[in-house]
Amino acid sequence: MFRYNFKYESILLFRGRWIQVLNGLLILLFGFATYNGQQKTQKRKADIATINAEIQASDQNILKLLDSVEQGLQVNTRPWTVPNTPMAIGNYHPRVASKPPSDLSFLATGQSDMFTHFVKPTVSGDDLALNFSEMTSPVQLLFGSFDVAFVIIFLLPLLIIAFSYDVLSSERESGSLRLLAAQPISLYKWLMQKLALRFFWVVVITTVTVLLVFVANQVPVANNFSTILSFLAISLGYALFWFALAFAVNLWAESSAKNAVALLGLWVLFVLLIPSILNQLGSTLYPIPSRALMINEMRTIKAEATERQDDILDNYLRDHPEYAVNDTTQKRSFWHSYMASQNLVKKELEPVLLTYENQLQKQQQLLDNFTWLSPAIVVQGSMNQLADNGSESYEGYRNQVIAFAAEWRDHFLPMLYNNQAFSSEDYAGLPKFTYTPINNQSQSSVLLILLCSVSVVLGVGALRFYVSSAEKHSII
Amino acid sequence: MIQKTINKELKELLRDGRVRISLFIVLLLLGVAVWISSRQYQHNNRDYAAAKLSERAVWEGQGEKNPHSAAHYGTYAFKPKYPLSLIDQGVDKYIGTSIFLEAHKRNEAQFSAATDQTGLARFGDLTPDFILLFIIPLLIVLLGYNAFTKERELGTHSLLKSAGAKGWKIVLGKWTALFLPILTLTAVLLLLAGLLLSNLTDYGVFQWSSLAVMGLVYLLYYAVFTNLVLWVSHWAKRSGISLVISLSLWIVACLAAPKAASNIAEARHPYPTRQEFAANVIKDKDAGLDGHNPWSKQAKLLEEQVLKEYGVDSLQQLPFNFNAYLAQKGEEHEAEVYFKHYNYLKEQYENQSGTYRSLALLSPFLPARFLSMAIARTDYTTHWDFSDAAENYRIATQKFLNNNTAQNTTYGESGYKASAEFWQELPQFDYQPPALGQILANNRSNLTILGIWALFSFGLLFFTAKKI
Amino acid sequence: MIITNNLTKKYGDFTALDHLELSVKEGDIYCLLGANGAGKTTTINLLLGFITPTSGSAFINQLNVQENPLETKQFLAYIPENLMLYPSLSAVENLDYFSGIGGKNLSRIELEGFLEEAGLQSEAFHKRIGSFSKGMRQKVGIAIALAKDAKVLLLDEPTSGLDPKASNEFGNLLQKLRGKGVATLMATHDLFRAKEVATHIGIMKDGQLKQQFVASDISLSQLEKAYLETMEYKTYAS
Repeated sequence: MFRYNFKYESILLFRGRWIQVLNGLLILLFGFATYNGQQKTQKRKADIATINAEIQASDQNILKLLDSVEQGLQVNTRPWTVPNTPMAIGNYHPRVASKPPSDLSFLATGQSDMFTHFVKPTVSGDDLALNFSEMTSPVQLLFGSFDVAFVIIFLLPLLIIAFSYDVLSSERESGSLRLLAAQPISLYKWLMQKLALRFFWVVVITTVTVLLVFVANQVPVANNFSTILSFLAISLGYALFWFALAFAVNLWAESSAKNAVALLGLWVLFVLLIPSILNQLGSTLYPIPSRALMINEMRTIKAEATERQDDILDNYLRDHPEYAVNDTTQKRSFWHSYMASQNLVKKELEPVLLTYENQLQKQQQLLDNFTWLSPAIVVQGSMNQLADNGSESYEGYRNQVIAFAAEWRDHFLPMLYNNQAFSSEDYAGLPKFTYTPINNQSQSSVLLILLCSVSVVLGVGALRFYVSSAEKHSII
Repeated sequence: MIQKTINKELKELLRDGRVRISLFIVLLLLGVAVWISSRQYQHNNRDYAAAKLSERAVWEGQGEKNPHSAAHYGTYAFKPKYPLSLIDQGVDKYIGTSIFLEAHKRNEAQFSAATDQTGLARFGDLTPDFILLFIIPLLIVLLGYNAFTKERELGTHSLLKSAGAKGWKIVLGKWTALFLPILTLTAVLLLLAGLLLSNLTDYGVFQWSSLAVMGLVYLLYYAVFTNLVLWVSHWAKRSGISLVISLSLWIVACLAAPKAASNIAEARHPYPTRQEFAANVIKDKDAGLDGHNPWSKQAKLLEEQVLKEYGVDSLQQLPFNFNAYLAQKGEEHEAEVYFKHYNYLKEQYENQSGTYRSLALLSPFLPARFLSMAIARTDYTTHWDFSDAAENYRIATQKFLNNNTAQNTTYGESGYKASAEFWQELPQFDYQPPALGQILANNRSNLTILGIWALFSFGLLFFTAKKI
Repeated sequence: MIITNNLTKKYGDFTALDHLELSVKEGDIYCLLGANGAGKTTTINLLLGFITPTSGSAFINQLNVQENPLETKQFLAYIPENLMLYPSLSAVENLDYFSGIGGKNLSRIELEGFLEEAGLQSEAFHKRIGSFSKGMRQKVGIAIALAKDAKVLLLDEPTSGLDPKASNEFGNLLQKLRGKGVATLMATHDLFRAKEVATHIGIMKDGQLKQQFVASDISLSQLEKAYLETMEYKTYAS
């Protein structure tokens, strides 16, 4: 039966123009999405390159100035920016901590439109003042992006639904099902094969289209082969889920129209409703406390700290006797007090900030526990992971930047408290930032979840089929 | 005869189990959405009131302090929630609700809700606007896709014609039968929201007129969809084809076009990055507004001018502290630099809006979305308005503080501290969103586009009626 | 051959088929007459295994239909009232598909042979079924039966919608199959055609087989009278 099914199903699909239409549509959709995504990636790369170039140029300048100063020459810049003091370097010549886009960043915009991709942490800057959000039109954030993830999560299921909502019901409505039922075949097997063949064609067309489109948009396919394979596997697993759903709904033996309505309802449920309800649940159960009130707490603490500057500095030096020892001149510059009080403020604010982090984490936990409710959520998380653009990725980046900021600060503090000058030799020892993408979700677990969902749905469909021996639910 | 058609269509609809279930589900979702939204609204407003009070207390409780220290200590301007934001959240999730007002710097709104949420937030929220903008048009598609094709498939089409039924009457009947449940749903929702809001009179001023205009916008939006779905139903040969085409229209209009439009708008008229923006501002601050008029030079000129004006030879002889006066002028100069750069952002946004408008040819969703947000005062333009108002308040605050120093000290004096009661004299920041008339005037183009869609779709239907 | 033993089908309180005793031997053409809802289609559905009997049993070639669904279908050919087939496939392709999924691997010559035997003109072999008339489609249905080497043929209203020429051609085809030893059960309203082709005739009402005749024992007008009486219509002066 299989050979005949394969041959004639393919002929029917071809003559019915399905294959051509699917092909055309997918090329259009993936093409536009990939092009879009690559544009964004290029822009991101260009922005980072520009800033790196600026720092390079400015560094050349530093070295020249240092050279002049060390030779005893006069320099023509504002006194507090002369690069022979540690605070000048630390504050006016920061390093770039950037998050370069991954090769597959175009796959999913994720949170990359909301957050910035490079920061220049200074010594005296506040960690809290590090603004990670990017300047974007909020309308763009509201509407979202036409990226590959959008095509896969939202549009592909609709194509599959259009492709398979009437695979059984149209046979029944046209009468050919009765003729088929009179042949010595298992109708269940026959339907499975038909859907499997349609799935096969979807696999073929999608894979070919995706690879074509990627190559046409200069995606480095060869270097990222395994990741692209993961991407294809997950997308096709997701497609399989929708085919399984179509299979189950077709077995409910209703008219084509009712099948369409049911499948669309399921699409709305899985793709629109469950994610938004889950999101709502997260923010209702673990609401983020008012940022406005946090602001007030912060300001009160800072105000108190400003008043106690001298006390604070004394306390700080008591805690760090290694600095007091070298402080032979007892020269207390503004920076000494400032850094000490910054330290204190940071300590006092930690518990406040921690509550925010905790709530966010609890939200994330809750959602992680329930992502299996909708394959759309699972696939979105996975795409974000593959593109390295998800919220975990940016959180990781933030933490790395904050750690680097601490490293940067710690590099200069000893120099400050020991009243050391900054020299040309010190330049080579400046800390550098390297971004490490986090890898918290294994794609195989995603695939597992998808396949489980598929089997659940198939199981429901099969149950229905065997229960349909009661004739009023007969699929014929 | 029209009445008979309406009755028959409605009966058919209501007897269809699927229709009953979907109507019920939509009502349920609406109820939940409104409930969640109203809780959120009340919570946000309590927050806003508390924050405002506590911030004012912090400001007034500064004790004796140098005014310039106070200027650096700064204060916060909080953005109020307009009542109709209960129905349409607009872009509020993606913009911050507080702006820090300090000396020498214009800041952006901080702490947008979206940055505090997980990636799931990008899917969308279960809010009334989600139901109104996405789900109800889908409902229209599901209820009406087979309005004409079923007559053809059941064979009743030829019966109708042979009974002498006039084309336009059939169309009108079907249109009304399709639109009536939608109209009812929308009216119920808006009425519910209106009653809820008018009971929460503590927060914001609720106006029935804004609600009514919002309702009209949505009804126009639904009319366009109704027309298109009926036209497709007439044109298609079979119900299956009609469903697929109408659905594709929904997908393109509500999902694909907005996303494509936002990408194209962003690509054509990009915003600078935050770093770039900050760097440009610093450059202009140092080098002067147009690059060759640095503040240092201007200050000298100002000095000469003031000395001449008061007819004295040295700054000490002036009746006020010139340094403070100069500081204020410097502040105003910096504000101009910021104004220039923020204006550039506004221009870019205007250009982006232009792109949205031209792409609105593909989708009636776009003008409806923008109009709905604008009327709810949750759109980006209202945010700009708030941001500008906050900036004006900031400049006024700096003037207030610098003036105090100028009047109460002499040139060269240091260590001046204003009294603890001084801070209370600063007026509070009070922001009122623009009036409905102003908003409608600003959104003329969106109204026009929606109107064109309405005309176009009614036109299509008119020609359909002729062909039946 | 076809045998039913006290075949009964009830839907709740409604009895669709009441203890049907039927026997169709090889070479017989049995026409079942009756009004809509008399139980003709129910009988066919039970013989096809589409539904299961409440009590009693049906046998195709001595195999119990309920217990051996796949095996009985090996010998069975069925032409439903509205035989649609796949409109975008040609006659040859449709035939190839339906015989192929049943396990018969036929060459193109063989397929064309069966179509010819079923009376289809050779120009139509490679044309798409979408353009065929009902008569032509039925010929393809017969070809499927022939290709399957079916021993039992079930027909549901085969001549409705056919013009007299096509109806006649169809009757001839049935005779040809009868010659091959096929047992045919035909549900129909067409009294005339029934009298023309049948070897046996049965009249059903309310799920029961009210009368049975050997076709040669009765004239057409007698058949009509018997039919109308069974239906309890008043007959006019004959």
